[in-house]
Amino acid sequence: MSKAEAYQFLNQASFGATEAEAQTVISMRRENWINDQMQKPASLQLPHLQALPPPQFPFQLHADRVDIWFRNALYGEDQLRQRVAFALSEIMVVSQLGALGNLPFAVADYYDMLVQNAFGNYRDLLEEVTLHPAMGVYLSMLGNEKPDPVNNIRPDENYAREVMQLFSIGLVELNIDGSERLDGQGKPIPTYSQGIIEGFAHVYTGWTFAGAPGFRQARPTRFNQVIPMQLYPEFHDPGSKTLLGGEVLPEGQSGEKDLSDALDNIFNHPNVAPFIAIRLIQRLVTSNPSPGYVRRVAEVFNNNGSGVRGDLGAVVKAILLDDEAHPALAMEIDGKLKEPLLRVTQLWKAYDATSNSGRFPLNAAYILFGQGPLQSPSVFNFFSPFYAPPGEIRDSSLVAPELEIATEYQNTLFTNLMLLQCFVLNSLATDRGDDDVFIDFEEEMTVAGNTNALIDMVAGKLLGGEISETLRAEIAGMVERIPETDTAFRAAETIYFVVTSPEYAYQR
Amino acid sequence: MKTLNRRDFLKTSGAAAVFAATPGLAYSQVVGTAGPFDDYRALVCVFLFGGNDSFNMLVPNTPAEYQAYALSRQNLAIPQNELLEITPASVQTPDFGLHPSMGGIDGMGGIRGLFESGDAAFVTNVGPLVEPTTKDQYMNGLVTLPPQLFSHNDQQDQWTSLRGNVPSKTGWAGRMADLIRSGVTEQQMATNASLFGANLFQSADETVAYVMGPGGPIQFEGFSTDPDSILFQQRAAFRRVVEARYGSVYERGFVEVQRRAINAADTVTAAIESAQPINAVFPPSQLGLQLETVARLIAVRDRLQMKRQVFFVAAGGFDSHDNQNDDQPGLLGGISDAISAFHEATVELGVADAVTTFTQSDFGRTLTSNGDGTDHAWGGNQLVVGGAVNGQELYGSFPLLEIGGPEDVGGGRMIPSTSADQYAATLARWFGIADIDLDVVAPNLGNFAQRDLGFMIA
Repeated sequence: MSKAEAYQFLNQASFGATEAEAQTVISMRRENWINDQMQKPASLQLPHLQALPPPQFPFQLHADRVDIWFRNALYGEDQLRQRVAFALSEIMVVSQLGALGNLPFAVADYYDMLVQNAFGNYRDLLEEVTLHPAMGVYLSMLGNEKPDPVNNIRPDENYAREVMQLFSIGLVELNIDGSERLDGQGKPIPTYSQGIIEGFAHVYTGWTFAGAPGFRQARPTRFNQVIPMQLYPEFHDPGSKTLLGGEVLPEGQSGEKDLSDALDNIFNHPNVAPFIAIRLIQRLVTSNPSPGYVRRVAEVFNNNGSGVRGDLGAVVKAILLDDEAHPALAMEIDGKLKEPLLRVTQLWKAYDATSNSGRFPLNAAYILFGQGPLQSPSVFNFFSPFYAPPGEIRDSSLVAPELEIATEYQNTLFTNLMLLQCFVLNSLATDRGDDDVFIDFEEEMTVAGNTNALIDMVAGKLLGGEISETLRAEIAGMVERIPETDTAFRAAETIYFVVTSPEYAYQR
Repeated sequence: MKTLNRRDFLKTSGAAAVFAATPGLAYSQVVGTAGPFDDYRALVCVFLFGGNDSFNMLVPNTPAEYQAYALSRQNLAIPQNELLEITPASVQTPDFGLHPSMGGIDGMGGIRGLFESGDAAFVTNVGPLVEPTTKDQYMNGLVTLPPQLFSHNDQQDQWTSLRGNVPSKTGWAGRMADLIRSGVTEQQMATNASLFGANLFQSADETVAYVMGPGGPIQFEGFSTDPDSILFQQRAAFRRVVEARYGSVYERGFVEVQRRAINAADTVTAAIESAQPINAVFPPSQLGLQLETVARLIAVRDRLQMKRQVFFVAAGGFDSHDNQNDDQPGLLGGISDAISAFHEATVELGVADAVTTFTQSDFGRTLTSNGDGTDHAWGGNQLVVGGAVNGQELYGSFPLLEIGGPEDVGGGRMIPSTSADQYAATLARWFGIADIDLDVVAPNLGNFAQRDLGFMIA
């Protein structure tokens, strides 16, 4: 395996390739590296938050949550687990923006739950997501009551709808290869009706914060926001419920049994395998997987080889080891645009980023980069899996989800932030703020007198050694304008041009 | 070497006339017929993300109708004595009321003030439809419906694309921009500008919307236009990098945005910095900031040689499944304060008659409660503001807000009695789109009898 191939793999499987990790992958090979990663203990967020002195206002802890997210993403040994959890956090979305603003422990614990289930079974993940108070608050299943016909009150349909549309099966029936099934008239077939949503809405009644004196008296505390919601049986609808495929839950079942049966009903829908396969492939490898790639991964979801359905570890492995994740001859639709957050973490890993305080409390990540950890504007994530920008991508019926947030505005802002990062927020600066994240390019300065050696070093660290002739020539032209003795300026200029380049923004 | 594409060929060779005569293909769809324009007009779309509960924004105030509303809404009903009464000109009695947050500080301003002064109107029970739809047709599957009713993103797409039962790659503002493009070639900025990210509404085949931040466009800080600066060289080098040919569709998509960003940043930021200060005071909200920026951009329309513009701004948080009674005053008061401040700014700039602000939202919400909130529904009420609006009036029929009533398909989900196509077409006509082209803007318009709802001054 070449260094460039190791970089391709690590940009799919971690928060950014580095030369050291590339060497590890080259010597271990991909599969052993994955096996090794899956054994690493999980880096978590909640213990960090719980150890901090309570802030004056709970929402202030979100900055600490983002801080520990960055530290785990940059320094965590469990890179693959963290990367898959990040992907899951963009599929089964909750966000600090909104009702969870004052529940930072719940948000951190939700992320930890994704981290811990990253290689587990999807059915367990689905249940933990459903019963997590963060999701309960975010999609209002928490406090959802059985109907009160006298007052025209019926169960809340929010979670019932979104868990199917966004977390599991989607809107239309799929074939195993992810293509849409069509009816006799050539039209897509909806997976569910309003009636089925209402059936599930009745299932999801009677749950709220655990340990409360009563259902309607439940209020969030530091403790109950990080444990699963609890059933209060008298608020659960006892009637029968019609679910997917016409399955009927009989009346009189307990709330726990209803929930378990309903999640089984979703889990066993044939859409789940291709749906989750496409979503995870798009987050990790490519925006436009071939039908064959989707099918191969979906088949592993349906059966991991030992007869187990929903084994996410096996699914992740199938995604990353598939030939289409590292094609011998890349086609123009292979790969994807890197998310801005991943462009940042890759730079920071490669250049040993830190701050005087050692912290990364970038609570404004969603403003600066157009995305931040669990900072989506809605349950629909920062971008749609179906987004197709006007032009050749749309005209070819392709998609490029990440391009939805690569707007003129966000791209300009990102370019300006990288200018600041390279020229101001570096290890040479003397007047940094405590929490200013800075990079260290002092090694580059030792070779900066030699233009080609400088470009080779930066391209080696950020691009796996492969740099286009155009970019090399333009950087060389700029570097040559800077005196040989101004090594810091030369190094900063080179890194700035690479991290703002289209080839760095592209994940091969 | 630049090669002529088919469109350039048509425009320059006179072949267009022949082409136009070809049955089944409207000439206007290919090159655009509108313009040049000798006046300035702007449409400002305020998108209310999440689905505005607009039957609490505009409430019936007559005894039987209020009674039906209160019975349906139960713990979510606005008490009748708290409604801000409004008096439609056609009836001369206060038959409707607004949410108590929509009258500004003293209850007389805000949207209420604009309605009473004739600068605001409502279009009632409007929503995505393919064709006129009755409850009987809906229940018995006798009508073509937009797919995936009650889903956020699908109904957002239907509102903004108006394709009904066909998924669309273009939005109705995008198609308007394509139709007028040959008439606005002098414009220094794209017809469509978004202050709230990429969107389907402004997506088009031939033109591309310009996406700026909520406070306007920003400059590339590492670039200079001073030829003696190294930052001038930096800009040139950066430009050559993004103008190179790339191997993947993702890089090519990325550099297209970068090129547009570089090209627009200089002209637009220079223009906006030259804008006269605006005295109107905007609320310190995301929507307030966006609308203030729109006002500043409108102030420099002549410098940018703009004749027609569509702005996209938005507010979120309208998906009130929970805590609706607590959240609604902030949500509805927020749009009332921001839109009325914006209208005041257009008066100040002398363009009140040339700027029309209108709302769109995913859907209306269920009349019934889920305990402390509402769920996804269908038809709802929309607000239109501006000097060119035939204001102080309601357009379209207002449904009886009764559970199980003639428009309710269950739980208080109202079948729209007016289509989003009719709403859009009325605005498009005012914008300068020819009658024959309204069907390009609003493809299902032909299925409805009334092509113009009459809320814009002709």
